[in-house]
Amino acid sequence: MQPFDYVKPNSLEEASALLIEHNGDARLMAGMTDLLIRIERGFFHPRLVVDVKALPGMRDLLVVRNGDLRIGAAVTMNEVALSPTARSGWPLLAEGCQSVASYQLRNRATVGGNVCNASPAADSVPALLCYEASVHIFGTDGDRTLPLAEFITGPGRTALQRGELVTAITVPAPARGAAGKFLKLGRTAVGDISVMNVAVLGWPDKATPSGSQWRIALGSVAPTVIRAPEAERILAANTSMAGIEAAAQAASDASRPIDDIRATAAYRRDMVRVLTRRGVEGVLAEIGEQANR
Amino acid sequence: MRAVGSSIPRVDARHKVTGEALYPGDIDRPGQLWLRVVFAERPHARIRGIDTSAAMAAPGVVAVFTAADVPNNVYGLNTLDQPVLCGPGAPRGMADADIVRFVGDQVALVVAETETQANSAARLLQIDFEDLPVVSDPLAAMQPGSPLVHGYRDNNVLLEYHVRTGDVEAGFARADVVVEHTYRTGAQEHAYLQPEAGLSYIDALGRIVVVVAGQWVHEDRQQIAHALGLPEDQVVVRYPAIGGAFGGREDMSVQIVLALAAWRLKQRGIDRPVKTIWSRRESIIGHHKRHPSVVSAKWGATRDGKLVAQQVDFTSDCGAYAYTSTKVLGNATLACLGPYVCDNVHVDARTVYTNNVPGGAYRGFGGPQGHFAAELQMDRLAEALGMDPLELRLRNAWHEGSLMATRSVLPAGVTIVPVLERLAAEISGSENGGQSPRPSPQSPVPSPHAPFLTSLDASAGRRLRGTGIACCFKNVGFSLGYRDVCNATVELYGTGEIERVVVRHAAAEVGQGTHTVMAQVAAEVVGVPPEQVELIVQDTAETENSGSVSASRMTFMAGNAIKGAAEQALARWQDEERPAIAHFEYVPRATTPYDKLTGQSDPNITHGYCAQAVEVEVDPDTGHVHVLQVISVNDVGRAINPQQVEGQIEGAVAQSVGWTTHENFVQRDGRVLTDQLSTYLIPTVVDVANVKSVILEIPDPQGPLGARGMAEMPFIPTAPAIVAAVHDATGVWFDEIPLTPERVWRGLRAAAR
Ligand SMILES: Cc1cc2nc3c(=O)[nH]c(=O)nc-3n(C[C@H](O)[C@H](O)[C@H](O)COP(=O)(O)OP(=O)(O)OC[C@H]3O[C@@H](n4cnc5c(N)ncnc54)[C@H](O)[C@@H]3O)c2cc1C
Repeated sequence: MQPFDYVKPNSLEEASALLIEHNGDARLMAGMTDLLIRIERGFFHPRLVVDVKALPGMRDLLVVRNGDLRIGAAVTMNEVALSPTARSGWPLLAEGCQSVASYQLRNRATVGGNVCNASPAADSVPALLCYEASVHIFGTDGDRTLPLAEFITGPGRTALQRGELVTAITVPAPARGAAGKFLKLGRTAVGDISVMNVAVLGWPDKATPSGSQWRIALGSVAPTVIRAPEAERILAANTSMAGIEAAAQAASDASRPIDDIRATAAYRRDMVRVLTRRGVEGVLAEIGEQANR
Repeated sequence: MRAVGSSIPRVDARHKVTGEALYPGDIDRPGQLWLRVVFAERPHARIRGIDTSAAMAAPGVVAVFTAADVPNNVYGLNTLDQPVLCGPGAPRGMADADIVRFVGDQVALVVAETETQANSAARLLQIDFEDLPVVSDPLAAMQPGSPLVHGYRDNNVLLEYHVRTGDVEAGFARADVVVEHTYRTGAQEHAYLQPEAGLSYIDALGRIVVVVAGQWVHEDRQQIAHALGLPEDQVVVRYPAIGGAFGGREDMSVQIVLALAAWRLKQRGIDRPVKTIWSRRESIIGHHKRHPSVVSAKWGATRDGKLVAQQVDFTSDCGAYAYTSTKVLGNATLACLGPYVCDNVHVDARTVYTNNVPGGAYRGFGGPQGHFAAELQMDRLAEALGMDPLELRLRNAWHEGSLMATRSVLPAGVTIVPVLERLAAEISGSENGGQSPRPSPQSPVPSPHAPFLTSLDASAGRRLRGTGIACCFKNVGFSLGYRDVCNATVELYGTGEIERVVVRHAAAEVGQGTHTVMAQVAAEVVGVPPEQVELIVQDTAETENSGSVSASRMTFMAGNAIKGAAEQALARWQDEERPAIAHFEYVPRATTPYDKLTGQSDPNITHGYCAQAVEVEVDPDTGHVHVLQVISVNDVGRAINPQQVEGQIEGAVAQSVGWTTHENFVQRDGRVLTDQLSTYLIPTVVDVANVKSVILEIPDPQGPLGARGMAEMPFIPTAPAIVAAVHDATGVWFDEIPLTPERVWRGLRAAAR
């Protein structure tokens, strides 16, 4: 492994300046669970690694004034998965974070790192897409905020510009009565990277023909995590058995998986159908339960 | 308290738990250099030349060694067919040592001041390769015109065995049902915690010392000395703590190259230790795997369930070099028939060279591949006959005095019937688990053995449950004419009473608990508490040959050797000798090799037996198979340390669940696609079934205090039992493992069409 220098700056300005100064030879690190492997295997050759963990606000996990959940970029997976606030208000996200690797790894791995790594298999991203989260960016030219769907631009690619870093992710509170299901398909019961995954969020809405609204996100079946808008529309219209089947099929049709060492595209495509159906059924059962209370 | 039969804590437990135990990679010596092995990373190629100048000029580099530096460039545990370093220029050894035959062939050694410098310089080596055609499928490798893996041979078949007993055609003519299927099993990586590592240096006596993890110190020493062209007493092999082995350390990895580097440096006036640690990837491509197999079997039985013909065609993928392939083949040739009496047997078995990572020893050693076919054939026969699978097995199982297919009488102590009967009792006993029993849809004839758990159509009607059984035999000790021996020395110190017992023995503690068992046997025979026994072990300078820790043999062999030495030492003690010291070489009864044409032989010293019942849950939509519960009944003769026996049973089942359902070693055109533990997945603690270990103690007449070998046996029935349980759950037979979710998904969809 190529040696590199390590700095832990105390201000965002300093971090940004280091990135600009080292122009491509510097990399940001949070938990380093992705970065170190890439360096070790020779994909990245940074001369400098810049630790973001001590930067202001990076470790915040709190509900801000408008009711959004604010997750500092260096908040760990376990902090989210075990947070009573996240578990009660954003359970779909807590489930996604909980599904990552092992307990030990989740003590290091961060949500910010998961998002910035921009893997199609990133397990926090489907939930964040369903909640329509935003990414907060610091840069020398000023701060900006992007919807997560625009922040991730391709496999391993983000909208970050030179000298920019992510400071936080904000997650709007879901509608009243919302329920979510995150279903991850791995080859082992725990610890595997998603062969594929599905996040389903639904909530009661009297304005739709089916009486509910839906968001569905699919992981590891396209170059980035994607939404399945056609499936969402079908469910807003109809949540009968036939509606669920049609939505599951529409989600499957929206996926563009590849063959790799973990599974073939054909298997993944069918698993989108199977897990979407299960997710929707699970959410419906929960919404129904709440309605009956 | 007796020493034998109690679960005393392991002698190595404290050091391992506290982290005091040093494994090869933990050991440093002052002034040490770092060695990096440069692997070929090509499945088949000729090396035209190697330019080391850039690597030599790199910072910190002390030496670069290539084939030209290997005194005798050939090695192999049983067959001398592999260069130590591939490339031209060695003074002696293989004529075609310049050929690379698999990706993990070693080409050069870069020695530098630091590990980072060795790694960087290794990338500067200029190797002039000429790629050669690759053959990666053993069946294709048998076809005329296939590329030859070893050019001097006529074909790629390394070895064939044949068994001809009775008349199979007459047998099939008598049969009321005949079942014929082809079974396939995959390669398996040992995935021991400790990747290959070691240290070598020249000691004050001028000997080359190699500190490394292995399974047989004396054999390692022999192979190192042979390749270096030195007498064996010039080499000392010493094992520190060993991080698992499972057969994966039977062949050379870092042993010879470490010794070579230390020796050549010393000749250049550089007297410094040399150390190496392989990465996980290097470990995965650099050492052998369980042999993949293809087995076609045609068996016939009469209406009353008597086996009348067994015809089997067995092929294993030997990979690039022989390793233990010929010995594994010897076992598989009989394992593919199961522990059953049959008068008409026809087996053709072979192992075939390819450009894949070599096949070699892995817990079970041909037993799992053979029994996978044999046991599923029994299930297919049971299905065709409408008979309970356990009942069919009992009707055909070996008894005391039965003849094997090799026409020899079975070694005394045949206990497959009591093992199966105990399994049946366990199965009906576990019915009281509160769930309602369920008639097995596969057995229209009422079964004398009720199914042991319910087939529960889980919550949402999605998961299916099923149960299955299987059984096995496995040889204990080296087979087929190999003269197995095991040495031990016992020393008794004290004046009036025995105060201290010293046992010298070479056996490797690979995690299986052998050192604890040795202390217990010595303590039992001498009549002292085990704490009074001191062990001097796994060091060629201090002990004599004990053979390898393999073939489920060490408790049996070391137990007999230590018992013999302890009894003699005790006799001398009683004759007032102080200290009383005795050496004993245990030689078990002789076996004989297969007759070339008929396979007639007395193949095995003795056997161990195991039977298992398995309950699985299958998700028919995703294809996931989850093994819920395994009942494993094992005749171990005498459980010297019951806790260690249970550990072996649980570990074997976990490893076999991995082989059957999770572990998918993928090679394409000789390249390894699953070369990390992130792509080659082994089961996690959540994936492993609950295991109920049932220990029977029916003494083996040859065993020390009755003990039999037992550590491989519980690996063997798990795979066919899981497949039978998946069939019970889904109605679909799977003839190929691993049962990856995708394979099951495909199978269920094909059956539904
Ligand atoms: C054994 C193992 C198992 C894994 N299993 C899973 C799994 O099940 N599911 C899953 O989703 N992932 C998994 N991963 C991947 C990884 O753990 C996650 O993606 C994790 O969330 C990354 O977070 P991190 O803090 O470690 O990121 P780092 O490795 O520190 O960084 C990741 C990337 O983000 C960049 N970055 C970090 N912080 C910032 C910032 N503030 N602004 C801009 N860029 C930044 C880094 O430069 C780097 O490119 C696994 C990894 C390992 C090693």
